[in-house]
Amino acid sequence: MSTPSDLKFLIVDDFSTMRRIVRGLLKEMGCNNAEEAEDGAVALNMLKSAKYDFVVSDINMPNMNGFELLGAIKKDESLKHLPVLMVTAEARKEDIVRAAQEGAAGYIVKPFTKATLEEKVQKIMQKLAATA
Amino acid sequence: MKMDDLSDLAPQMAAGASPEVFHQLGMITRQLHDTLTQLGVMPKLQIAADGLPDARSRLNYIASKTSDAANKVLNSVDSAKVDHAHISSETRRIAEAIVKDPVKAVASGAVMNFVGDVEAATARIDQHLTDIMLAQDFHDLTGQVVAKVVSLATELEDSLVKLLVQAAPPEQAQKVEAAVLNGPVVNPEGRTDVVKDQAEVDDLLASLGF
Repeated sequence: MSTPSDLKFLIVDDFSTMRRIVRGLLKEMGCNNAEEAEDGAVALNMLKSAKYDFVVSDINMPNMNGFELLGAIKKDESLKHLPVLMVTAEARKEDIVRAAQEGAAGYIVKPFTKATLEEKVQKIMQKLAATA
Repeated sequence: MKMDDLSDLAPQMAAGASPEVFHQLGMITRQLHDTLTQLGVMPKLQIAADGLPDARSRLNYIASKTSDAANKVLNSVDSAKVDHAHISSETRRIAEAIVKDPVKAVASGAVMNFVGDVEAATARIDQHLTDIMLAQDFHDLTGQVVAKVVSLATELEDSLVKLLVQAAPPEQAQKVEAAVLNGPVVNPEGRTDVVKDQAEVDDLLASLGF
């Protein structure tokens, strides 16, 4: 099974502070290979122009929100295999259900702990390993 | 309707009502308009009937989040400083011991104890630094809330202008669009449409087969 250090992450959030926090936590988990995008549109361009293994995305963003990004990823044959972990302040049940139905690999509500992020990333990687 | 016209209109509309009320409403509207103009915020839609209580709740949420973050950072800095001071004093102590009698310093285990101390202290400091980093998440959460309160203030301005112009009770205020209420749930108590914490997210996802 892969470890976070083997993977290239794309962190999508319109707040630079949150991108830095997620990046810092991933680094503590051993992942030094992470890039950032400030919204879904920028992220989608990056995903189409380079190879990534894991997407961590906010939902409420300008231009293209997290749901739109998730939908675009799952519709694209070359991207749909990518796990997308939603990390968001949206705590409405309908958003969580929608994310699950549209193919998100996990859902974390802000504020969150390092342990939560680590647990979700590991869980998703285990699932991917099991289905590979 | 320009703001400059409002003062002239107010007395005409005040028939049957206290001119003072309209005068004060006009002043409030102008003050709000000027403030929002200075902030570069353009007038937009109508205010929701429940907008003001919601704004109070959101502002309280900001105060709470920033206060929590400040305390968390200060506590972590205090703890890290204690560990840092410990490393500094132990370094001086072990240096003196090595200079005085290097063989004894090593043979007595003082050097290895020092190494162990440093390792433990740096691990604790690392945890404090992580805590400080995590405490910055308030910026993301409060930033979203601030944007919503600014939006609400803009809507309030529009409503006050309409009230002054029409000289009548405002029509049934439109409900805030669902999208406007997105973002951090500042007060989940009594609500069934939102989750309160990550455990509830996990339970909900588990019920969906995740």
